[in-house]
Amino acid sequence: MKIWLAILALVAPAAAFAAGGNVSLSSDVFVERVKPGPDGKPAVVREAPGVVTPGDKLVFELGYRNSGAQPATGFALTDPIPESVTFAGSESPGATFSVDGGKSWGPLASLKVRAADGTARPATRADVTHIRWSFAQAIPAGASGKVSFRGVVK
Amino acid sequence: MLATASVLAAAAFAASPAAAAGTAAGTTITNNVTLDYKVGGVAQTALTTSDAFTVDRKIVLTVVSNDGSTVSVTPGQTSVVTTFTVTNASNATLDFALTPSQPAGGTAAHGGTDNFNANNLRLYVDSNNNGVFDSATDTATYIDQLGADDSRKVFVVVDVPLGRSTGDVAAVKLNAVAAEATAAGSLGNAVVPSTGANTNSMDTVFAESGNLSGNLQYDGQEFALGDYTVSAAALSVSKTSRIVSDPVNNTTNPKMIPGAVVEYCIAVANAAGSSNAIATNIAVTDNLPAETTYLSAFGIKLNGTVAGSTCNPDGTAGGSFANGIVSGSLADIGAGVTKTLVFRVTVN
Repeated sequence: MKIWLAILALVAPAAAFAAGGNVSLSSDVFVERVKPGPDGKPAVVREAPGVVTPGDKLVFELGYRNSGAQPATGFALTDPIPESVTFAGSESPGATFSVDGGKSWGPLASLKVRAADGTARPATRADVTHIRWSFAQAIPAGASGKVSFRGVVK
Repeated sequence: MLATASVLAAAAFAASPAAAAGTAAGTTITNNVTLDYKVGGVAQTALTTSDAFTVDRKIVLTVVSNDGSTVSVTPGQTSVVTTFTVTNASNATLDFALTPSQPAGGTAAHGGTDNFNANNLRLYVDSNNNGVFDSATDTATYIDQLGADDSRKVFVVVDVPLGRSTGDVAAVKLNAVAAEATAAGSLGNAVVPSTGANTNSMDTVFAESGNLSGNLQYDGQEFALGDYTVSAAALSVSKTSRIVSDPVNNTTNPKMIPGAVVEYCIAVANAAGSSNAIATNIAVTDNLPAETTYLSAFGIKLNGTVAGSTCNPDGTAGGSFANGIVSGSLADIGAGVTKTLVFRVTVN
């Protein structure tokens, strides 16, 4: 039996927007819930973070735009995972991670966490402290885009 | 270098302990994003933005019985205790209003059928959480300021009425309602969930799951059940006799002829199934059989034991004989124990 999951229209999320120089940046956080849809079947809904409690699923969307007349290079979007949130994957392609507070970066599979006794183990999503997208190519004038990732409220 | 990294890794874990209750209600979650870029190969001023929202209060509580089996009681026993644990799994400190009750009829917590109400139903919070009811110190009747992920034991206490039979069951129930923690030393009002649209300040959601039939979900309260089962002492008395000697045969195959010595053994047995159903204050009296004379040289032997149907000669002197009546008081008889009163007569 197929269960239809419909993504309903976005309700205004917790949004932030900044513009300066020749670029603009936006950060939106949604809470994702499963609720009965208009047809009574369960539907995935993204809402503004209204009532948010431990265990809730969050979606972070970062938007950028090059509003200048020249291409921008060295574009890097960095997002420290908030303290009360556990990183939960589904990140847009091209992300690198840090598990040591932003000192070192790499693909998650290559990162290690050291225990107090010195032994190392592979890092997991729960260890991620920062996520970053570094764009190798220039962002042309007028171009825009979005990256996103998921988290869970601790 | 490695040492520094390990300290940082450990610190990263310690900085945000993940309690089961989760992030404290009222905490602001802030997401900061930074954009670095260059134009014409020249690094530009980084751009930052941040947005924030508030973590709301999620009310979760559990009430469980600490008694693995029914609490065995005797008729007339007072201040018998069933023990429960109330846990605050919410992400905020709360008070808890507590109410004991006695469900009528139906299947009790440990399988028996409830058929009586005990007397003097009351409850007390375990002030030092040691699981032992101490009436001098455990006097609070509600839980005050219970922190997130903390728990407290609660005692439901009753007196058992007289006149109950072995197997009678009294069921009890403890209900806990989440209440605002407001001021220490007084019970706050019951928590009310936020209705309507979300606000920018802290809202409240009921998220506890009912775990027993009749225990509704999402109503800010939970209950658990306990029970008491009566085990009364079950005494039975038997009287046996044996011929000890006669003047002709002495102790070899003695016959019941005048002058024979006959020993009477009165055995009191407590067939109770529960170890705390001890019979006390046992007074035995026996009229001397007709045509016999009390043998005072032997006297009355109390608290002897039995081996099968044979009375052992291990009683100690006691009791009294007057006006044709042999009397003696036996010591307490525990469950499964038999004690005897033994005396002798001569056949007239």
